[in-house]
Order: sequence, then structure tokens, then C-alpha cells
Amino acid sequence: MVRYGIVIDLKRCIGCYGCLVACKAENFTPPGVFWARVLKREDGKYPSVRRLSLPLLCMHCAEPACVEVCPTGASTQREDGIVFIDAEKCFGCRYCMMACPYGSRFFHYRERPYFPAGFTPYEEMGRQKHPTGVVEKCDLCRERIEKGLEPACVANCMTKARYFGDLEDPASEVSRLIRQRHGFQLRPEAGTDPSVYYLSP
Amino acid sequence: MDKDTQVQEDVWIPTVCSMCYSQCGIRAHRVNGKVVKIEGNPESPLGIGRICAKGLAGIMLLYDPYRLNVPMKRTNPEKGIGIDPKWVEISWEEALDTITQKLKKIRAEDPRKLVFTGCIPSMSPMVFGLALFMPAFGSPNVFISNGHQCGNAEHLLAATLHGALTTNPDMQYCNYLIMFGCHCGTAAYYAYTTMCQRMADARVRGMKLVVVDPMLNTGAEKADEWLPIKPGTDGALAMAMLHVLLNELGIYDEEYLKEHTNAPYLIAMDGYYLRDRETDKPLIWDPRDQKAKTYDDPSIKDYALEGVYQFDEMLGKPAFSLLKDQVKKFTPEHAAEITTIPAETIRRIAKEFGEAARIGSTITLDGKELPYRPASVVYFKGAHGHNHAWLTSLAIELLCEVVGASNVPGAFLGCNPVCYGYPETGRPRWEPKVGPDGLLSPGLWFGGSEPGLIPGPYPPTEPQPPQTLNLMDLLTPALTSHLPVLTIPRWDEFKIPYKPEMLINYGANSLMSIGNPEIVAQSFKDLFVVSFNLWLDETTDLADIVLPDTCYLERLDPSPNMHHHHFPVGLGEWGWQIRQPVVEPLYQRRHFCEVMLELGERVGIRPEFYMVVNLYFDLKEPFRLDPAKKYSWEEIADTIYKSYFGPEHGLEWFKKHGVLKWPKKPEEPYWKPFIKARVPIYFEWIKGLGEKIKKIAEEQDLKDIDTSDFQPLPDWKPCSALEYQGNEYDLQAIYYRVPWHTFSMTYENPWLDEISDNEPYSYFISINTDTAKKKGIKDGDLIWVESLDAGKTKGRARLVEGIHPEVIGVANNGGHWSPNMPVAKGKGVFFEALLPLALAKTDLLTITMDCDARVKIYKVEG
Repeated sequence: MVRYGIVIDLKRCIGCYGCLVACKAENFTPPGVFWARVLKREDGKYPSVRRLSLPLLCMHCAEPACVEVCPTGASTQREDGIVFIDAEKCFGCRYCMMACPYGSRFFHYRERPYFPAGFTPYEEMGRQKHPTGVVEKCDLCRERIEKGLEPACVANCMTKARYFGDLEDPASEVSRLIRQRHGFQLRPEAGTDPSVYYLSP
Repeated sequence: MDKDTQVQEDVWIPTVCSMCYSQCGIRAHRVNGKVVKIEGNPESPLGIGRICAKGLAGIMLLYDPYRLNVPMKRTNPEKGIGIDPKWVEISWEEALDTITQKLKKIRAEDPRKLVFTGCIPSMSPMVFGLALFMPAFGSPNVFISNGHQCGNAEHLLAATLHGALTTNPDMQYCNYLIMFGCHCGTAAYYAYTTMCQRMADARVRGMKLVVVDPMLNTGAEKADEWLPIKPGTDGALAMAMLHVLLNELGIYDEEYLKEHTNAPYLIAMDGYYLRDRETDKPLIWDPRDQKAKTYDDPSIKDYALEGVYQFDEMLGKPAFSLLKDQVKKFTPEHAAEITTIPAETIRRIAKEFGEAARIGSTITLDGKELPYRPASVVYFKGAHGHNHAWLTSLAIELLCEVVGASNVPGAFLGCNPVCYGYPETGRPRWEPKVGPDGLLSPGLWFGGSEPGLIPGPYPPTEPQPPQTLNLMDLLTPALTSHLPVLTIPRWDEFKIPYKPEMLINYGANSLMSIGNPEIVAQSFKDLFVVSFNLWLDETTDLADIVLPDTCYLERLDPSPNMHHHHFPVGLGEWGWQIRQPVVEPLYQRRHFCEVMLELGERVGIRPEFYMVVNLYFDLKEPFRLDPAKKYSWEEIADTIYKSYFGPEHGLEWFKKHGVLKWPKKPEEPYWKPFIKARVPIYFEWIKGLGEKIKKIAEEQDLKDIDTSDFQPLPDWKPCSALEYQGNEYDLQAIYYRVPWHTFSMTYENPWLDEISDNEPYSYFISINTDTAKKKGIKDGDLIWVESLDAGKTKGRARLVEGIHPEVIGVANNGGHWSPNMPVAKGKGVFFEALLPLALAKTDLLTITMDCDARVKIYKVEG
């Protein structure tokens, strides 16, 4: 059985926010909604200090806490591991947002254009994808995957810091990287077994 | 798309980005006439299918509802910052009639009364205005409105040491890279997207990255070692490293220095070459034959690099020994006091760099054995954006020159100074030449593949009493100049023999990109200003006519990468790209180049215009423009393509395919062993120029023309921020760049604005935590930054550890105030307010602005 996952190499990542915009451009996400994000943090005291950029997306956990708490069955997991939300079934209770250990879910409260003057022709074309009153998040670009493409954040990553593949296949590049470079998951203590792994900077 | 949506059209169009100056290959997805996605073009060597946040966000520039859509004229005669011009809409016909009348009058009186400025991100049309229209019209008065961002010092050394306009390290082979004050491979820099990929590959491969920067930002974040330095002291660090290499460790590439540089040229006691009486050629000393010979004498058995030699009653020392003497006073201990970097660190870094260069080693590429020097520097604004930019940049460059790490695999490379052309036609073609005294002269310069329109810096142009507003006829080594903002209102003081009357502004927002906006406004307000714009920005407050420009997704540019000036270095592929409209221009927007062609027709300068185009692109028969015929912009593009790549590769071919590629040969990027031009480590001609300029300045009674930096050897001197002796202005303010903004132009893009809104630093003023605490400033406090010799600016404090305690850091060019750019308005911090504009705050040799402001900070009351 396939289990899709992503490996993010923090040694290659330059914290450029390309993933955030690649995701936005692909998925028409509205203002304030980020299926892909980047966090920045400093560690240490001058002059012994480092800065770290941490790209985030939905972790598509093997044991997704969000699916467990969803009262309507809107949040479900496919056999290939992709966790997705059926907007038709979601009624916006937001339990899933509280359950997610990674803050990867966003509530689309009301429609809002990017410019004060109103929706651009580009945004008009994507409005239907973002109903209001529901929770939304990264679906690992499942439409792209079905066409044989990589998720947009992976395909565009300027430094090739992102790898997409089958975690169940020991011969896949993602499995190899996790093995060879000791890939780790974020917040393993949450017990959700994320499908997104990181390689240390 | 929904299944029931009628899809009539679904196409991907290859074109070229222009969200910054890198001009990467993109493809736009157009569905039913609307652009729905921009991606990297996998076929383009620039980006290879991957682009940055700015490039992805171009859709929001195309469809920005606040774009300028119609021509307008001002009705309020009063001009000034923030004074409403009271725009009224006019027809293109009325606009062009008015402009034509003005241009005709000026051309009849004195064409030099016309001034042109443009913005760097729109590189190709800007060059069209600057290097094609203006020479055809007859005016030399051009400047690029990027003031403090400009790389003039780097450009001068790129030309004289690398034969190119710009430089980049060879990250495909480099093992040790020292980055001085720039973000190469991590944020804005030449060939940004491809260099980011190569930087990541190199770091994974094990290349050590040392970043010299007062602030821990994108570059230092990826560094193996961050060296926080006091701003304006990079030159002292480089001098000390040279001292360690040359005088303490004796690590230098003797063979390279003897064969490929002027290190063995004998320098007389007056600082000039010892020359052969008969041929006037510089002399070297052959220690085996114990005699002086001309540098190119075929009987030379060896070259002396040290010692004192006598020739015709004159004493001379090899240039190399003068360099060794020059760096002696910069011991690591002395440099440590200046830079705040510990002496032992300086010694260690110098040693690591020298050893990493693997002097004497070779590598075989494509069957050719080449010198292998896998160590490099790269430097930009942070290092050279100060007074004494020339001396500092030269010191940094010579780190590579002394170890032979110059234009060979792994080393510091010029951006494509050699191109032997598309294999089927051998065109376009350029390579450096051997200039006077055996020294390198670039084969390609800003003025296209036939230098001459805009002469390169070497051979040097004789300085003249100023006749041009940019003073580049007096200060001849500079590539560009921001000085018209000073000379326009004071033309008579500078003895300029005419009064400037008209400015054509191609998209530059000069009020936000040069320095103190009051001074810039003062210089523009009495001119008749015609401005091609995307928005009614801050600078259009001073315009008389504004014209709605196309953005890069609406226009045709046949040469977006300007003869590969901004193209990946090293091996890989050449790629000549096309920028083509992916949608027809919306509303009444028109492409600047088409409008300028029409103005050329109306003014009656077609023969001159076509002659310049023929020269600039080096067009050959039967593809030369014939002044008896009138060409459209599309026809000119078609002609350029066919002249370079053959009749089968015209405009239609490029529109369909997007990019024409062919492989690079090792002797192109790694030209050093193949081209017998020496490069100077001793800039004798600079010394000569300085004396001539000084004499002219005295004769003409020009104030503030200080030529003391026209030195042949590197040095370090304190910039004005470091000369300040008081206690009140206790900090230095610096500017840095983030990967998702370009200067000020991207602040109106809501996707990019949203990044900064969610990112901790770029809309804030970064201050060292301890420094802020001592001043009672807390994270998030609104503070004033007040400059010692210019204005003040406001912003919120961000307390960080990753910044030198005596420094505050400001990102890009924020703080827009135009009500017509609602996304940008009030975002970020307006750094330019802190920068005085004055000759005394300019490195005159390279015309580099000093952008290191001495400041104090305090909380905003109330």
C-alpha cells in the first residue's frame, strides 16, 4: 500500500517562502489561509546565534487526530495517507483545528479579496474552491498527484529542499533520505505519526 | 475548472519574469484569456522550472486593480511630495503630441537637456531607453534610479578583472566561499533561482560557507560560520587576510601572478610603470637574464615578484612587492580593532581560504586540463555600499587574484564574459581583448556586444570638464551614476553648459530608491517629467504626464537577459530567451519600447535610432535595420533573432519555443588559461586618472571632487559613519534584502506583503536585544530612527540576537506613502530617509552611494 509523504531538507531550505506562494498560486487560497507556511526562529545569544526556517504544511499523519475528532466525517483519510476535508460535510465546528498538533488547519470565515478594490480575475476563477464557514488545509495537491505531478510546493522548491514519494517503499528517495540522514518528525510526542519528515540543517 | 465550464482555451506560454533583475524563465498558464498560474519554465537554464515567491506572485501584479490604465496629465501647477497633481485623463494622441513638441524643441536647442532614468527590475526596456533611444536622440544624460542598491564598485572590478558586468562564484566546483555583505544563493542576487539551487547543492556537497555580515539574515542563516562585522569595515578584514596570506603564510599563486596579472610589472618610485623607452611598454625584471624586459618579450625566462631593480637610472619594484608592503599595516590584531572580528578568527579564515584554493592543482573538464581553484569570494552592497567602495572592493577581489581563483573551475567568475555563439551561426559572440599595457578589456559591456555606445572602463576614457549631468565624463571609471539628482538643480554650479529641461522616467520610483526624497524631489520639480508607470507611485507626484506601462506579462522583449549579463555562471547551457505577452495589454496600457519607437518617428530620429540598434545588437546584413523602412517592435525583434540565430529562428520560433539553448564550452566560463590578457593587481591607470580629474576639478573650481581614493592598490579607510566621534548617534543603520521583495516595487503585491506580515523581521527594525534593553526599548515598540546628516524614519522594533550590537537593520525599501498603492502604503520601513545625498557621501571613483547611516533611536512619544 502506498503512503505518500514529504521530506524537507532543512540544509537545503533557505526560508524563501516560495512554498507558501507556490501553494497559494496552485490552490487559490484566500488571504490569511496558508496551506503551506514557514516559521522563523532564532536560537542562542549574540554572537553564538543561529536562525532556523521551518517550512510547515499538513503532516498527513498516519494517526490523524483531526479525523478522530471530526463529528461529521468531513475530515477523512484516504488509503494512500492523504488527509482531506470534504467541504460539503464540514459545518465549521473547528474541533479538528484544536486537535491538530501542527496548526495546519485554517477556518475560512468569510470571503475576502486580496485588494481592497475587490476580486481580481484570477481570484474569481478560484473562489468556488473555497466555500466559507468551513475548515480547509493542504490536500497534498491530490489533483496534481492524480495527474502524475508532484505537489506544487515540491515541484517549485527553488533549492530542491522538498522530496515527495512513497514512505512504504523502502527503495523510494524519501525512504532512503529518512534512513541515511536520520529524518525526523515534528512533535512525535503527539503520537500522530506524521508523513512529513525533516532532515537537519 | 468545473466540468461544466466551457474551456475554449488552455495554453502554457513560455516567457521571462521581471519581478527582479534576474529575469528567470517562466511559463504562464492561460485559460480562456485569463492567467491562472505562473511556474518556472523547465526548459530555461535560468530557474530550470523553479522560481521564487516574487515570480510566482506576478499574477497579482498583472491583475492589480490599482494599476495605471490610461494616460493622464497634471492640472495642478504646484509640484511637491504629497501634493495632489490633480490628474485628468487624456488620450494617447494628446499625450504623444505634447511630448513630441517638447522633444522637438529640446532637440533643436540642445538634446542634452533631455534626461532619462529607469528602474533595474525592468532591465530590458530600461536598457532600450538608456542605451538605444538616448544615444539616438543625442543625450548622454542617463541614470539608473536604484541609487543605493547599485553595484557600481563591483561592476568596475567585474569589468577590469573578469571582463564582465557582474560576478558570481562557481558554486558547481567551489569548496570554500566567503560572502561579504550579500545574499548570493539565498536571496536577491544575479541569476537568483539557479544560483539558489547551486548553493544548496554545494552546501550538501560540503562547501564551507563563511558569511561576513553585520546581520544574521538569509545568507548567514545558511552559513557554516557567521562573522558579524562592523559595517563599513569589510575592506579592513580583506586587507588583513591579504596580509596573512602574503606576509605571514606565503600562500599565493606565483605562476598565476607572473603569467596572468601585472604583479611583475616594475613600478617606479612615482607610482607609475617603468616603461621601455622605445615601445613605451611596461617592463618586468627577468631574474635569470638579470635584465629588464617588456612584459610581452618572448625571451622572458622568469619574472621577479620582489626586489628593487634598476633600469636606465630609474629604480623599480614589482607591483606584487608593493602590494605586500601595502597590506603590512593591516595585521589581524589591527583589523580586529576595526572590524570587531577576533584576530585569531581572521588568521584562521585566511588560512582556510588559502588552503582551500589548492594552488597548483588542476581538473579535467570535457577533456581539457584546467587550473582548479575551488575557493571564492562574493561581495555586494553590504561590503561596498560605503565611501571608499573602490578600495574595499579591490581588497576583497585581490583575495581571489593572489591565489589564482579567478575565472577557472571553483573560483570567482565573471558573469559570462566569453561567448562563442550559437553553434550554427557563431553568434552572438564576444570575448575579452588584450588592451593597452597587456591588460584585459571586456569584450561585452553595458552597451551591447559592440562596446562603443557606452564605453567600458578599460581602456580608460580621458576625463573631461563635465558636460553631462551624471558627471560620468569626468568620473570615467563609473558604470552608472545617481548624481543627476544633485546636478540637475545645480547645473550651473557644476559648470554644465545647459539647463536640463525634461525627464523621461521609465518606471523608477526615484523618491523611494535613491536617498533623501526631499533632495530628489527638488531636482525633479522644475523639469517637464514624462513618466511611464505601473502605478501612481510617490515619484509620479512630480510628473507632468503619466503613461500607463505594460507589465512584463503584457509585453515583448527580445533580449531579456541582456547578452547573458544576468545569467548563471560556470558550465551548463546558454539560453537566449523571449519575453512575450501572455495576455494582450489590458486597458490602454502600452509597451514603453513601442511608444519610444513611435516618439522616435515623430521626432524624426529614425536613421539615428536604427543605426544605434544595428550597433548595439551588432546586426549583420541582411538583418540590419534599413532607415528607408519603418519597422514595428515585433519586426525589430524578429530581425535581432534572425541575425543571431539564422532565418529559421525568428520571432515566431521564439514565441513557440521560448528559449534557444546550446551547451557551454569549458573555455567560455573558464577562459583564464585561453585568453592572454593580464589583469591588474596594481591599477596604475586609476592613479593617472585621479591626477587628471583632480586637475580638471581645480581648473573648473568644482567643489567636493576628492580624488584621494584613486589609488592603485587596495586600502581601507573609515567611511563617514565611522568617522563620527560623538556619543549621541551611537548606531549604524544598514539595509538588507529579503528573498520575496525587490526594492520597493513588490510592496504593492498582496501575496508578498502577506509574507512580510507573517514573517518576524522584514517589516520591523531589527535591533540587538541587549542594545535595545539598555535604551529601554521593548520588542514591538514604535521607534524613531534619526540620521546624523539626513532625515528620520519610523518603525517597530524587533529585538533579535542575530545582529551586531552597534547596528540596526532595515529590509528593502518599505514605507510607501502613495494613497494609490493601498497594499503597499505604510508597510515596512523607509530606509532612504536616512541617507543624505552629497558628493562627500559618494565613492567618486565608482559613483557608489554611502548607504551606511550614523543614527540614534528613541521611542515615539504618546
